[in-house]
Amino acid sequence: MNFFIKKIITLIMTLFLVSVGAFLAFQIIPGDVVTSILGTEATPEREEQLREELGLNDPPVVRYFNWAGGVLRGDLGRSYQYSKNMNEMMPVAELIGDKLPVTLWLAGLAMVLIIVVSVPLGVLWAKSGSRFLDAALGVATQATMAVPSFFLGILVTFLFGVVLKWFAPGSYVSYRQDFGGFLSYLVFPALSIALPKIAMTARFLRNSMLTEMKADYVRTAYSKGCSRQRVMYGHVLRNAMMPVVTFLGMIIAEIVAGSIVVEQVFGLPGIGRLLISSINNRDFPVVEILILYITFVVIFVYFLVDILYRVIDPRISGK
Amino acid sequence: MIKIENLSVAFDGPEVVKNVTLELKDGEILGVVGESGSGKSVTALTLMGLVADTAEITSGRIVFDGVVLREAGKPIDKALYRKYQGAEMSMVFQEPMTSLNPTVRVGRQVEEMLRLHTDFSKEKIREKVLETFEAVGLRDVETVYASYPHQLSGGMRQRVMIAMAVILHPDLVVCDEPTTALDVTIQNQIIELLRTINTKEQNSMLFITHDLNLARRICHRIAVMKDGRVVELGKTEDIFEHPEETYTRELIEAVPSRLKRRTSVFQGKYPAEGEERHSGQEETCPAKGEKRCPGRIGESLETEEAVGGVEGQAFPPVVEVRDLSVFYQDGTNSLFSRKKRHAAVQGADFSIYRGESLGLVGESGCGKTTLSRAILGMNRDITGEIRHTTVRPQMIFQDPYSSLNPAKTIGWLLQEPLRAAAALDKSRAMSREDMEAAAYDMLRRVGMEEAYFHRRPSQLSGGQRQRVSIGQALITNPGLVVADEPVSALDVTIQAQIMELMQKLQQEMQLSYLFISHDINVVYKMCDRIMVMKDGEIIEIGETQELFDNPKQEYTKKLLASH
Amino acid sequence: MKKPDSGKWNKYLTAGLIMTGLALLFGILGLFWTPYSTTAMSASEKFAAPSLRHIFGTDNFGRDIFSRVMKGLSTTIVIGSLVVFFSASAGILLGALTGYFGGLVDEIVMRVTDAVNGFPSILLALVLISLLGNGRQNVILALGIVFIPSYVRIVRSEFIRLRDADYIGRARLMGVGRIRILFVHILPNIFSVFWVSVMIGFNNAILAESGMSYLGIGVQPPDASLGKMLSDAQGYLQNAPWYALAPGLTIVWVVLGFSLFSEGIRRRV
Repeated sequence: MNFFIKKIITLIMTLFLVSVGAFLAFQIIPGDVVTSILGTEATPEREEQLREELGLNDPPVVRYFNWAGGVLRGDLGRSYQYSKNMNEMMPVAELIGDKLPVTLWLAGLAMVLIIVVSVPLGVLWAKSGSRFLDAALGVATQATMAVPSFFLGILVTFLFGVVLKWFAPGSYVSYRQDFGGFLSYLVFPALSIALPKIAMTARFLRNSMLTEMKADYVRTAYSKGCSRQRVMYGHVLRNAMMPVVTFLGMIIAEIVAGSIVVEQVFGLPGIGRLLISSINNRDFPVVEILILYITFVVIFVYFLVDILYRVIDPRISGK
Repeated sequence: MIKIENLSVAFDGPEVVKNVTLELKDGEILGVVGESGSGKSVTALTLMGLVADTAEITSGRIVFDGVVLREAGKPIDKALYRKYQGAEMSMVFQEPMTSLNPTVRVGRQVEEMLRLHTDFSKEKIREKVLETFEAVGLRDVETVYASYPHQLSGGMRQRVMIAMAVILHPDLVVCDEPTTALDVTIQNQIIELLRTINTKEQNSMLFITHDLNLARRICHRIAVMKDGRVVELGKTEDIFEHPEETYTRELIEAVPSRLKRRTSVFQGKYPAEGEERHSGQEETCPAKGEKRCPGRIGESLETEEAVGGVEGQAFPPVVEVRDLSVFYQDGTNSLFSRKKRHAAVQGADFSIYRGESLGLVGESGCGKTTLSRAILGMNRDITGEIRHTTVRPQMIFQDPYSSLNPAKTIGWLLQEPLRAAAALDKSRAMSREDMEAAAYDMLRRVGMEEAYFHRRPSQLSGGQRQRVSIGQALITNPGLVVADEPVSALDVTIQAQIMELMQKLQQEMQLSYLFISHDINVVYKMCDRIMVMKDGEIIEIGETQELFDNPKQEYTKKLLASH
Repeated sequence: MKKPDSGKWNKYLTAGLIMTGLALLFGILGLFWTPYSTTAMSASEKFAAPSLRHIFGTDNFGRDIFSRVMKGLSTTIVIGSLVVFFSASAGILLGALTGYFGGLVDEIVMRVTDAVNGFPSILLALVLISLLGNGRQNVILALGIVFIPSYVRIVRSEFIRLRDADYIGRARLMGVGRIRILFVHILPNIFSVFWVSVMIGFNNAILAESGMSYLGIGVQPPDASLGKMLSDAQGYLQNAPWYALAPGLTIVWVVLGFSLFSEGIRRRV
């Protein structure tokens, strides 16, 4: 129990530090945003009015707590770039809320693909005594890992979209309109994110299994009269999976990064595209919230992995 | 009856086992003794059908109760072997920690034997496992049953391994160095247990070991192996009393024997503890028993003055340890927990005299390494006093593979202590030529050819590395050398050579050794006095022969009796 | 302890050496010379398929793709090398000091490193770019900073491992000075591990750089860039797939070359 409390405190502290960092980076360092919103032609009175409105005249500490308090209450600030109507700037919460499910579904689908394909592949690879299969998978995975996800996205578009015509590139349907269509369109970008990670994970699992196969307890199992099959599934797999769980957790960060890029390739209206356009337009309140949000997701997944690891490894939990 | 007939095994070319013929009768314990690379383990693993698939049987066969299990030129019949493995033949391995699956409860691991070879019901399997656990001397068997390997002690783990090996009453139990990884007192219990099982079950045991003395204690017959061949085979008494082969004789002689009476350099006249205490000791620890008094490591140079205090004594001390406690910290310092401070050594009080070897014995975790590190100044969290009369004591490490910097040449390694000494003390500066000459000279003194000067540690054997290691420790001519298990990673014949070298250099250079070892025989051979540690305290100290003849403590008696 | 391949030449090294050698050759050549001008347009040769005249074909303006790929490769290699140089040097220094001495500074550096390591590197680079602004120097600076932690981590863990090695304990007993222990006794022993991580780092830098320019954040025209070419080419997949394949496969070639090479080194150690 003590462990969970420690972990949660660490989690909160990390989030606090990141939020301070993000606040410093996007609200203090860039200086006055008023000119970037109003342009250089505005009157000094209008500028002063906006400054007051945005709370820019307060000292930084007050501004941080105002902002952080707002975030905790669900008020994520306002976008400089988008407007809701003539007089009102777009609330970031509304801006993000719409795009979040796209990215989450994309990342989730990619993760599922990775697990579902790489684990059996890795086991099969480790089990096969065939030199040919071994070499072929070695080359194939090494090559796949060298393909950047955006190029893979283009290749997938070319192969499945242009040549095989399994889907029409650019024909994205919103999840609100047609959920099935939405998901089947997402399969292709998810595949682009997942493929290199599948190669990586399969290699990792295979190496982990081969390392475990050399362990002393494997020899003990054979000395009892276990078959290779039984040794593999009864003894080796569980031990070999443990580092893989950590590895899969670490991949989360890369999947998130991958989805940002791949959304661009497939024209998906997720938070990745929002982030890029916000960066291009120096729309800092949005960038800030997105960074905080992504950090939260990544840290939270690490947290879950940590807990999962305690559950499956008796050497840690069994004390 | 199990027969290994004319067996030869090769891995990609050279044969590592050559024409080995061994027979095991019912109820017999056959020892196979040899140094590393002698082929003893490969022979055992081939017999068990566990040798790697890359191994090729180039001649001979293995016959188990009339059934040919393995034959030259034929691939291994794994299905046939699986019927025998576990049920008819089983194995106890060296390292009980790694030989058990770390993520499966030990009860289930033992159960697997029954699930594979019997069709007992679940309840019966469990009952049988608990029964066997009791039979191998485990207590609180229900708890053990549900434990993971890391929750058990080394001795308990090995008992679990033995339970697993004997649960189906196999005709053959192969024990591959079953006690090497254990503490001496535990070793004894395991050996006793194996002997009892053998007597009761009347099964055959193949006992693989590098330790001739151990084989002598348990085996009925012994086969001595060297370079893949059985060089001598006979009854245990015959092997020891009339060894026919020179190698066997070498092996027997290499093992330090306690039959020769040990005389110390003191010849019974070493200054009794307490007599030679320095004056001025009070200043270091004014209030004894007060919570904490800052430790001091006196590094007085070997000047007239420093030695003056002990003038007139035949054996001046090189280091005096007074009421020393050494602390270590537990865990990591983090936001949530402070480190805990434990005393690993308490109230140590002794001296080491010039020219003597002081042995330090005790089981793992008793604090002997911590004590030696404190004397070397590597652990500074101490109370009490350590007073040196010589400069910079040096150390010889156990593992010759990790104690030499792999990135450097032997010549560089031997000169580095001189460079370091020169950097600390201008008066010890030497010219480049002198340093090189000194290094060459040291290389010769540790019995190595000059050609090694430009080689790197990776090109040397374990024994050669240990020689270089000794040279590196001695080149600055320290008065005191701490040797932490300096020979325990080496084969017996190499052990003997290194011990001889250490004794030769001790006389030439008037060295004092603090000699740490778990091997009582080695300590007997090397040391003038012996100090026994238990749970962080020195419980007994005395001249070697005296201590062996009349141990005062029960624990000492147990420790010394273990070999 | 010893692996069977140890110390031997292996096929990974051969393949890696050939691939990286070719890539470096064309990349460096591209700094000084290309077969065609990278800006010369030709209305009559729009979307020419690969041929002997234009081995990678031409783009929507009739420009020679091979020449443009060479230029882009140069940019990528120059940026990748500078990023690795910058981040690896800082990583060695920080990793060595924190790993060997430990203490409070180590604690702080490790917290920061952990946080950064857990974060997608391209995202962090994007954030820095959004603060610093676009352009070649800023890309180098941003990626240079982003990749420091990965080196700190590796160098630090090696120093921690070796700090407790017997031969370092012995050097301390001899009275060898701290700086000498760090750089004369320990450093030579981590080079093999370090080189592998340098190559992996080079790959990561290349991937991040091309990803950023694909997104339009990073190197800006007139600097040629493989990522930018890819995003331009994406619209012409139907008529001129070679336009996208050329820069894409070039990236794959370089990355694969370096990873084979580093795998080869890893197996030798």
